Amino acid sequence: MSDDIHTLAGPYALDAVDDLERARFDRHLATCDSCAQEVAELRETATRLADATEVTPPARLKEAVLAEVARTPQARRARAARGGEARWRRWTAAAVAAGIVAIGAAAATYVVEDQRVHDAQAQAAQVTSILDAPDAVVRTGDLAGGRVTVVLSASLNKGVAVVQGLPDPGTGKAYQLWLIKDRQPQNAGVLGAGASGGARVFSDVQGADQFGVSHEKAGGAGTPTTPLVGSVNL
Amino acid sequence: MAARDDQPRPLAPAPATGDLLTQVARGDEAAFVKLYDELAPRVYGLCRRIVRDPAQAEEVAQEALVEVWRTAGRYDPAKGSASAWVLTIAHRRAVDRVRAEQASTDRERRVATEEVPYDDVVEQATARLERQQVRRCLQGLTDLQREAITLAYYRGYSYREVADLLGAGLPTVKTRMRDGLIRLRDCLGVSFA
Repeated sequence: MSDDIHTLAGPYALDAVDDLERARFDRHLATCDSCAQEVAELRETATRLADATEVTPPARLKEAVLAEVARTPQARRARAARGGEARWRRWTAAAVAAGIVAIGAAAATYVVEDQRVHDAQAQAAQVTSILDAPDAVVRTGDLAGGRVTVVLSASLNKGVAVVQGLPDPGTGKAYQLWLIKDRQPQNAGVLGAGASGGARVFSDVQGADQFGVSHEKAGGAGTPTTPLVGSVNL
Repeated sequence: MAARDDQPRPLAPAPATGDLLTQVARGDEAAFVKLYDELAPRVYGLCRRIVRDPAQAEEVAQEALVEVWRTAGRYDPAKGSASAWVLTIAHRRAVDRVRAEQASTDRERRVATEEVPYDDVVEQATARLERQQVRRCLQGLTDLQREAITLAYYRGYSYREVADLLGAGLPTVKTRMRDGLIRLRDCLGVSFA
């Protein structure tokens, strides 16, 4: 697993990973000093590519930035006393929260209509605990033109799935997520009506061998009523 | 590596930028103005290169620069130079913007039908590039390394999209991004100890 995640060093330094991969890699970095050194150097290197893009910004940008700065309070400093583990947890929480918000923006409906903001925050906390689990396993796959990332923890018996970029399900329709255990589908959450992506936390993951998505009427169904639009082996 | 006279910038991160950022973290607005003058051309240029639409690029650059002000206290000099920290914030925001755009448009198809994706900004940047070591070092990469790195960094594609665009396997693209960056690092003499 550790070797596998380390192959993401290049894409990570280039921001060419998705939010969950970034969170996973951050976690890897927190436990691997030599990797942290390598990634710091690759980041510095990637940043040098920005030298070549230098363009004089319009004067109004400076005015706008300084005006906003004048009314923007600074975030409190991270407390230095905390150890690496706590730091990793904070990073992950931030990364996942950012991921959920980003998905919300992409799916247009997720955060605003489908969930209240504090729900998203509560979910971010749950997601963090799953990503934090020592036995967390990540599976990703292409699915009906979109992407799915599933993280499962057997010890917590919980999982989280992030689905992005599915085709528009249509009015009054939604995508539903399923954990499949020995061919028996078990509901893992329904995405918002009309949403082409979203994140869901689910429990009772032990014994699941597949993760699938079906196209249902808004609100979902007890069992898939149509063939799965796609699945990923767990 | 021997010293070269065509080097436009010192190899070590300029300490002054780090000091400015430390002052900014203490709420020093005058230091922020200096930091802005030093880094805004690269922040804005990078946003334009990635986001392409000038109005949106300006918006993203503004968000990134205000985030620098807001979160300056989180900068940790042990983890990288101040300019890399700032440009990483800008790069990530620009990439988030193009990926959000992608959700509502078929970006892949657009790319497939797009003429050679060079606009005036890129040409302008290329002219600068010619004067810079970065270009020489990019030329020293294999085609696949160079394309994988530039599609990701300058266009905001994920490594999966890069693999699709280049018709290469995922493991190959991941590896080429890493070994290409390592070769660039050695060519540019980047070190961070």
